[in-house]
Amino acid sequence: MKNNYILQAWLVLLLAVFYGGSLAGVQLSLSPKINENKINETRQRVPALVLGKDRANEPVEIESENIAVEKNGRKVFYNVFKAVQDGKQAGWVIKTSGQGYGDKIELLLGVSPDMSIITGLFVLDQKETPGLGNRIADPAWRQQFVHKKTDKKLVVVKTGAKAPNEIDAITGATISSRSVCAIVNNTLSDLKPKLAGVN
Amino acid sequence: MNEHAEKKEKQGAADALRLQVASSPHLSNASFTTRRMMLDVLIALLPVIGMALYVFGMFAVKQILICLVSCLVAEALFTKMRKRPIPLDDGSATVTGVILALSLPGPAPWYVGVIASFVAIGIGKVLFGGLGMNIFNPAMVGRAFVMIAFAGSMAAAGYVDATSTVDAVTKATPLTLFQQAGVITPLKDLFLGTTNGSLGEVSALACIAGGLYLCIRRTASWEIPAGVITAVVVCGILAGISGPGTEWTVLHHLFGGALLFGAFFIATDPVTSPLAPKGKFIFGLGVGAIVMLLRLFSGYPEGVMFAVLLMNAITPLINRWMIPKPFGAVKEETKKAS
Amino acid sequence: MSNEPTPLERFIQGIIPENPTYRQMLGLCPTLAVTGNLKSAMTMAGAVLFVLFCANVIVSLIRNILKPHLRIVIFTLTIATFVTIVDRFLAAYMYSMSKALGPYIPLIIVNCIIICRCEVCASKQSVIHAGADAIGQSIGFALGLGSIAAVREILGAGSLLGFHVLPSCWPNWVIMALPPGAFFTFGLLMGTVNWFVSKKEKKQNNA
Repeated sequence: MKNNYILQAWLVLLLAVFYGGSLAGVQLSLSPKINENKINETRQRVPALVLGKDRANEPVEIESENIAVEKNGRKVFYNVFKAVQDGKQAGWVIKTSGQGYGDKIELLLGVSPDMSIITGLFVLDQKETPGLGNRIADPAWRQQFVHKKTDKKLVVVKTGAKAPNEIDAITGATISSRSVCAIVNNTLSDLKPKLAGVN
Repeated sequence: MNEHAEKKEKQGAADALRLQVASSPHLSNASFTTRRMMLDVLIALLPVIGMALYVFGMFAVKQILICLVSCLVAEALFTKMRKRPIPLDDGSATVTGVILALSLPGPAPWYVGVIASFVAIGIGKVLFGGLGMNIFNPAMVGRAFVMIAFAGSMAAAGYVDATSTVDAVTKATPLTLFQQAGVITPLKDLFLGTTNGSLGEVSALACIAGGLYLCIRRTASWEIPAGVITAVVVCGILAGISGPGTEWTVLHHLFGGALLFGAFFIATDPVTSPLAPKGKFIFGLGVGAIVMLLRLFSGYPEGVMFAVLLMNAITPLINRWMIPKPFGAVKEETKKAS
Repeated sequence: MSNEPTPLERFIQGIIPENPTYRQMLGLCPTLAVTGNLKSAMTMAGAVLFVLFCANVIVSLIRNILKPHLRIVIFTLTIATFVTIVDRFLAAYMYSMSKALGPYIPLIIVNCIIICRCEVCASKQSVIHAGADAIGQSIGFALGLGSIAAVREILGAGSLLGFHVLPSCWPNWVIMALPPGAFFTFGLLMGTVNWFVSKKEKKQNNA
């Protein structure tokens, strides 16, 4: 009797069942809210990224799709949101990511319906150096990307951007600045052929 | 009580009989003191300071004064907190202050020097138990702290003050220019020191002059700078072979940046470098190799500070490997065999 | 049982004399990792309070039917359950904070403060003792985290809880917001605390 493992562990088993049940309950009741949070995190940014921040409160219908791009023999998936306003397409928002200085940088990139002009940039997630690289999330710096044409690759410069495809580097964080630019360039060159004619 | 006294007496008698042999090192020259060494370092720094004053003017005066005063105040304050006699007259805080100032960019704001000094003396030296106990070069600890804390005023951009009347400060440093724009600064400028950079590093000539004095006086061990230079030359040649076409030659690597200043004045700190000559040479090789690694492959244009700190960290290990064999000692294996 | 501490003693012990951070040096992982700003430190302290309180109370309730050789399993099971609840709760109602704290909320499971309190207090004493102990220890933990986070946020960003408390000319000490800043601050604060304690002890010995 004393050596029967199951009997000895009755309390453990009972608690495990009890805890498991309560966790299932918690998960069931909270998971809709959590999922909503996750979706909202990107979705609520879409109007501002497509229409500009002054019109961020206008209602926009969002259709989400996953687009696969063949690249160097590998498939790359992009989560793309199509923003529709009054039955007309207002633009695209692309969720994209790439290597930064510290860790992966996750971006939301707003582009016009014909993929010719960048309409917005938002940094979803980054772990760049505080005080230097994390200034890529500053609205003032991100604003540089807005209205840039996508026909030429964007270039980071340190001495005051002059040409239309130039972006000012953040002082002391050239690598972070370049990473963001590279992610934007890559995304655009990947998706331009796919999305430009879809209207 | 009585017993105790008796014991003491006996002890005294025994002491009188025994030969008094102090443990090594046995100094034959009484003048070979901390104070003399520090004075020597300051004398050797004179050409470097002179060059800094000539090239950077008020920037250099300001930075050296700030660091000097802060280091002395910090030393007095922290040693007082530990209730130790205040050792300001041994000159070590003075040397730390001057070297720290010479390793900072001229236009760096005043608080950079002050904080660097307090960190250098406080965290770099006194926390470890004072002079002789510290593992890391104090001046470099202070510099590393502000380098990370105030990257804006310490990284490439911190060296440039475009509106200044001091000519050198209006341009980027040679290493930055090369790394980011591929601009080659003429060797003559690097050698004489009419370029931008940390206050003390600009003139290769002044560093060599001061460094040679230190080595001749034996205040610094020649093995360390020799090791650094050997490693840089070898790495520079290898880099030249693997990536031909660049005009940034081995000599540019040697004369540019803080390399010679670091090799002669920073890496040679006797407290934080190995004891045995062979160990010193290895230490120098390590510093030089890491500097080249950082210069060629990292985001930083220069790496002397990190190289010295990293090699400081493995100095105890080098010391263990390089225990000099006492004269006439037999190797352990041969002993076992016999 | 007369020499066992009373609930009030348990409560007070946790705050200063047996402060988990500075005196017991337990739970240092979150202490170093989430003290970059005061808000995340306080969220972490709140999460620990909830987990510690629930785990202590439950362990104390079942202390008489615990098999000694299976107690650690039960402690871990209990703690893991409540940590998961906190984690889900944060993800639902404080989404950005949950993202900022990342893996450190699930890592409360291995926070030794909690298992230590279960072992030392809750598995031996009544529910009231265990509850008081949990609250006292959590306040102590919050003090530890909060002091480090306050120093780091003020020096590193010139702000406190996101509000600017220093003039805008304050140069941010970026190193304080980075991991080395946590070690520097923790070491120096612990030195200060020890200095005060040794001073107090000296005074008591002299008296």
